[in-house]
Amino acid sequence: MSVSIRDLGIVIGSQTLVSDVDLDIADGERVGLIGSSGSGKSMISKAMLGLTPDDAVLSGSVNLSGVEAVGADEVTLADLRGRYVGTILQDPFSSLNPVTTVGRQIELPLRLHYRLSKAERAGRVRRMLAKVGLDAGLADRHPNELSGGQAQRAAIATALITSPRLIVADEPTTALDSIAQRQIVDLLVRLVDDSGASMLFITHDFSVLARATTRAYVLEHGRVVESGATSDLLAKPSTPQAGRLVGAARKLALE
Amino acid sequence: MAQHDMLPAETVHDGRLGISDVVAGSCQADAVGPAGAEGSPQGRDSSPRPALHTPDEPVSLKGLGKLAVVLRSMWSQGEGRFALVVLACWIVVSLASIVWTPKKLWETDGYHVWAPPSADHLLGTDGTGADVFSWLMAGARTNLLIAILSVMLAGVVGVTLLMAMVSRSKMVSAISVVAVDALISIPTVLIALILAVPMGASIAVIILACGVGYGLNLARIARPQALLAAGSDYAVSARASGASGGYVLFRHVLPNSLPSIMVQLSLSAGTAILAESGLTYLGVGVPSGVPSWGHSLSTSVKLIDVYPLTVVWPGLTVTVVVVALNLFGDVLRQAIDPIVNTALRKVAA
Repeated sequence: MSVSIRDLGIVIGSQTLVSDVDLDIADGERVGLIGSSGSGKSMISKAMLGLTPDDAVLSGSVNLSGVEAVGADEVTLADLRGRYVGTILQDPFSSLNPVTTVGRQIELPLRLHYRLSKAERAGRVRRMLAKVGLDAGLADRHPNELSGGQAQRAAIATALITSPRLIVADEPTTALDSIAQRQIVDLLVRLVDDSGASMLFITHDFSVLARATTRAYVLEHGRVVESGATSDLLAKPSTPQAGRLVGAARKLALE
Repeated sequence: MAQHDMLPAETVHDGRLGISDVVAGSCQADAVGPAGAEGSPQGRDSSPRPALHTPDEPVSLKGLGKLAVVLRSMWSQGEGRFALVVLACWIVVSLASIVWTPKKLWETDGYHVWAPPSADHLLGTDGTGADVFSWLMAGARTNLLIAILSVMLAGVVGVTLLMAMVSRSKMVSAISVVAVDALISIPTVLIALILAVPMGASIAVIILACGVGYGLNLARIARPQALLAAGSDYAVSARASGASGGYVLFRHVLPNSLPSIMVQLSLSAGTAILAESGLTYLGVGVPSGVPSWGHSLSTSVKLIDVYPLTVVWPGLTVTVVVVALNLFGDVLRQAIDPIVNTALRKVAA
């Protein structure tokens, strides 16, 4: 699925969170969106699916392979969500319903968008769990019985169960330790590439960005300050804002 | 779903599901689509959807298993045992009273009024010489009916208002919050008195007054927990999967608010028993001649200084049952929570 964002603006009350954002993702491309906390990254991903807060005012255009998401009705958006666009949130534990089994949560997009028998859904959940490296028995567990890495794998399985054409991963590794981070990124990249889907990968970590994306946008104070190949952004950022982010990441890595 | 036609051909699903299948190169085997045999993506074609069938799925006994685990968990605690025993006795006595009481309710003995407990009258007699034990047995039936129907009505009213209060529609939530806050200030007794004007003294007055009054309380008390659930990441995640607002409310917000709701409902059952006594005493509850614990209390309370025992028995019954109901709610809350109750998680697996 291709994505074309033009002049996107998001205002809540008197606060402008995002302004004049242009962003493109080609079919099958893995694109990163990086910026410090509060720079508006997550708000852009929410705007793509109409999940911004009710009091947010959106302007501009978010075109998902011909479907305009800004101002779209709830039926259109609900059909896009989960079926054509899979979403992975930051905190794997808080994004899983604590009183529902993992299996029922993974099959939710299937239940909502496709008419399949219970046995078919269970079979697909089982195979999806295997693909994300989880034991089939975990389907009957509750989220509080999983580790952070397992919970995020379950969240990835939920996002990919319908084979969506676009994956929006909103800081999917932030809440994980460094080993789990690497495993999750590699898993996500492999699954996304194999399916031929596109991906918007949001992060504030340059090392994760380098591993997950081929092209990236740098966001600061709700504006895109630089974009280009991820390797170029890391090697020689051309704007001071991107330079600060890369410098801070290097400093952290050296410390 | 018009937007499907708007999507360019390359982005429209070809009906094959499951990235895992694509990865495994087993698309053909698992292909589901217009040509698939078992189902088709909704809205993809206009042909009738094949009926769902799960011929090889065994009949699930998980529901029964869960009930057994919940009861066992409650039984494992002292408070739970007390609550279960008292409530079981209440139900058994209520059912038994339909076919049998030690003495006929209207069998009075004018020579033995206000009689102390004896072999003939286990708990003595009241001012008309009627058997107190028999009237308490029959009263258990009326009070059980009042408690069940009040709780059911409170549950319906409370959950409906709760869902409206945490709904994503600002207008609906604002109106319902104001309505609940305004109506909750009216005492249950006043609601009953107002209802008694057109309806007269009846069991329906108690049920309606308690159901509406306690429903308002339930909505108000469970709202903070429901708001937390409605604003949670898992609610956002469900919406990101394509769930509607109603689906999120009933499948995510409601189950996560159940602990508060269950405690409040069990408290409501106890309070309904107390309200029955109070309203019957005021003359707007259970009509004269219908056995109830409130009726037993109100007919004997005037002579409490002279014949205290006839007040003690119904009073003690009401107290024990209300305490049992309160403890029941508290223990039930823990027993039905899969996060707290590990045994429940195992049976779900």
